Amino acid sequence: MDFLLNLAPHLINGIGLGLLFALIALGFMLIVGVMEVINLAHGSLFALGAYFAMMIIGPEPQWFGSMGEWYVGLPAGLRYSIALVLAPILVGLVGMLLEYCLRGTYGKDPLFGLLLTFGAAMVIEELIRVFWGSGEQVLQIPAAISGAFIWNGLIWSSYRFFAAAFAIAAIFMVWLFLERTPYGAIIKAGAHDSEMVRALGINLSRLRLFVFGFGVMLAALAGIIMAPIWGLRPHVGVDAVIPAFLIIVLGGVGSFGGAVVAGVLVGLTVGITSAYASEWSLMSMYLLLIVVITFRARGLFGKKSVLEN
Amino acid sequence: MDANTGIKAWITRPMLITFAVLVSLPFWIDSVGLYQYLGVEIVIWMVFALGYNLLLGYTGLPSFGHGAYFGIGAYAFGLSQLHLTQSVWLGLFCSMLFAALGGAAVAAFLSHRRGIYFALLTIAFGQVFWFLSIKWHTLTGGEDGLLNIPRPDLEFGVFSVSLDSNQALYYFALAMFVIVVIGLWRLIHSPYGTVIKAIKQNEMRTGFIGYNVWLYKWSVFTLSASIAGLAGGLFSMAQESAYPDVMSLHASGFVVMMVLIGGGMVSFWGPVIGAAVYFLARDMLGAATETWLLWYGLMFMAVVMFKPEGIAGAWQGFVRRRDASADAEKKPVTG
Amino acid sequence: MALFEAQQLHKRFGDRVVLEEINLSFEVGQLSGIMGPNGAGKTTCFNVLTGRYKPNRGKVLFDGEDITGMAPRTIARKGISRSFQIMNLFDDFTVIENVLLAVPRIRDRGFNMTRRVAADSAAMDKAAAVLEQVGLKARAYENAGSLPYGDRRALEIGVALATEPRLLFLDEPTSGLGSDATARLAELVLELKQRYTIVIIEHDMKFLFGLADNIAVIHWGQVITRGTPDELRANKWVQSSNLGKLA
Repeated sequence: MDFLLNLAPHLINGIGLGLLFALIALGFMLIVGVMEVINLAHGSLFALGAYFAMMIIGPEPQWFGSMGEWYVGLPAGLRYSIALVLAPILVGLVGMLLEYCLRGTYGKDPLFGLLLTFGAAMVIEELIRVFWGSGEQVLQIPAAISGAFIWNGLIWSSYRFFAAAFAIAAIFMVWLFLERTPYGAIIKAGAHDSEMVRALGINLSRLRLFVFGFGVMLAALAGIIMAPIWGLRPHVGVDAVIPAFLIIVLGGVGSFGGAVVAGVLVGLTVGITSAYASEWSLMSMYLLLIVVITFRARGLFGKKSVLEN
Repeated sequence: MDANTGIKAWITRPMLITFAVLVSLPFWIDSVGLYQYLGVEIVIWMVFALGYNLLLGYTGLPSFGHGAYFGIGAYAFGLSQLHLTQSVWLGLFCSMLFAALGGAAVAAFLSHRRGIYFALLTIAFGQVFWFLSIKWHTLTGGEDGLLNIPRPDLEFGVFSVSLDSNQALYYFALAMFVIVVIGLWRLIHSPYGTVIKAIKQNEMRTGFIGYNVWLYKWSVFTLSASIAGLAGGLFSMAQESAYPDVMSLHASGFVVMMVLIGGGMVSFWGPVIGAAVYFLARDMLGAATETWLLWYGLMFMAVVMFKPEGIAGAWQGFVRRRDASADAEKKPVTG
Repeated sequence: MALFEAQQLHKRFGDRVVLEEINLSFEVGQLSGIMGPNGAGKTTCFNVLTGRYKPNRGKVLFDGEDITGMAPRTIARKGISRSFQIMNLFDDFTVIENVLLAVPRIRDRGFNMTRRVAADSAAMDKAAAVLEQVGLKARAYENAGSLPYGDRRALEIGVALATEPRLLFLDEPTSGLGSDATARLAELVLELKQRYTIVIIEHDMKFLFGLADNIAVIHWGQVITRGTPDELRANKWVQSSNLGKLA
């Protein structure tokens, strides 16, 4: 019983991590569904979100003169909340720019789309290095959600609970958006059959632009939440795109529930690995990806997809 | 029927021009404001890129983790010099052997696939190798890597050549380059070359004609890894060290960008051009700005978007248009 | 013993049964046809016969050997070749390169990395002969991707022929062809009939009835009738259906 109790914080961490992975994967999945593009830059946009947030929370006040002084004086919670809203929007705009660049590759060999998003990932990572340097940065979080508390003789991280709760809320909002709004219905239709959507008079290129922007916004949001957990370095993005892909392979492209369940599974794997062999926790994702793709590439919930060309 | 017989069947005019330029390089490189060691680096990456393009440009398989095999080659060379015996031939043999073994093992997982699954698996394996090179520090020296790798003399039995100077090392690397170029050129025009080109265009039909597509993909990946290993071994000789960074995704991305910008998708010489352009950009652009890699990456994106056939492809297009208009001029005016 | 036999083939995709109790046999030297309405299962049947799908039940025999479930490449090497309805060529290759790939002399040396293909006169001659047969010799060095549709169809068959098969499966070879091209194709098939055992799936009844020695009709995933063209014309079911009117 003791053993299970000692494992509990790791399990909670794992579930929280998994829900955040699911959030990343949902954005990734929408892009795959509507545009049949595998966005290899998804991870670097995840990282960019965190860097933008860091800048919004604690900018260099001297850049903005007296306005800057006033802003930095605002409560940390307020600045953090602004960052949670503004940073993803900024990343969404970058995403739309990327989608615009991708347009030329749509009819051609999918290899070029892959190469382009790969190039974008490298460019964005390099941009981060240029602006913020290669070293480790810190994302300041408000005191209210940081720190730890003791319960049942174990130390629990407050932030992890916040992260898990936030992820649940965000996933629920995405679900509401997709299932209960007309825009969501259009996106789902677009993922299912883009020709039909065009025939219905919906501007397909605007839909694609929006979906790409929305998809990377989710990644950026996850990036902001995960920065205190994974750290903030330019190449942290690589470790974000792998679970996204792993999740849609496990859960199937086009399956919302599948993505969430698979996300939690992946998160638990990472969480449990970090309990016993913490150095291997990220590696466990890569190894899991290799195992899953080798043995089963159709997913638990979804059907044959564009991935299998 | 093919009129190329004798020596012309092995060596072409572009090859001779390239060889001539490269053989003379040590004599003019300083006068253009560059330096000897750069020549060594360029030739090493030309070898790496040529082997890589066998996979990307000719078979259509995108590997984003090829730095792993370059790295295995570098470490294998280093370890053989430090623990076995000091010999260039043995060292490079180990480089190619272990890189091939690594490639063969990974290829067993990859060869069923193409496209995105293939690409992601190569990334995953690349990360695994990179992780191992950092964690297995008893073997690899961890994050610092292997240091003080000796650069032995080149033994030919009765006499030996010192490779201490960068110029000597350059000529040795160039000799390796020449062998790789001639060998790969021949391979591209052989039945094997035709099959891999077919696999790039239409895997299914190639299988229906009777070819074991899996085996071809496995073998071309292994061969490509082995050439990457050779380049890695030469690198380890040049740097006299080997370290994990060459296996990172970041480093693996360089060879992808090089090959594409150079025109590897449509031309044998694409990788050679691409490697030269990369290093020129690094040293010349890099002297002007610290953000040169950013511009290089943007250039890569622009090439993918607007001219995926790259520099070599643009040159081919130019030659074609020039020949077409010359033909048009030659036609008699009917009247 | 028939050259090629399908016994009790049963194929299901998920819950949907697509082929049920398919029994077919093709005799050496004959041209057999398979026809039937769209969605009737004839394409699936074809794909099972040529190794693209594995049947859930039943056997496929070639020259007495059980080839059920073997990979397409193994089946190809045993002497069975097929063309595709949706064209499946190597668009970046020249016409002659397309065919050269399939020539046994090249195929058997696929792992040779040093011999020059262009200098292999025996292989080139064989490829040229195939092109001559399908009427593409003049276009040998043109790019396959830029050929007009009718020539692509001819090349499609040429590639299948180049492997020197004993049994040739043609999947809707007249697909998309105009009447002139169809007539030329019929002439070609007539010539090929003298050398190969052929099985054709077709929609164009006039084409099929003019060439086939016997035809199987597949509908609702089953072989509902089989016979010579004359017998089928007299068949009440065929007469009452659309198929009869076209023949």
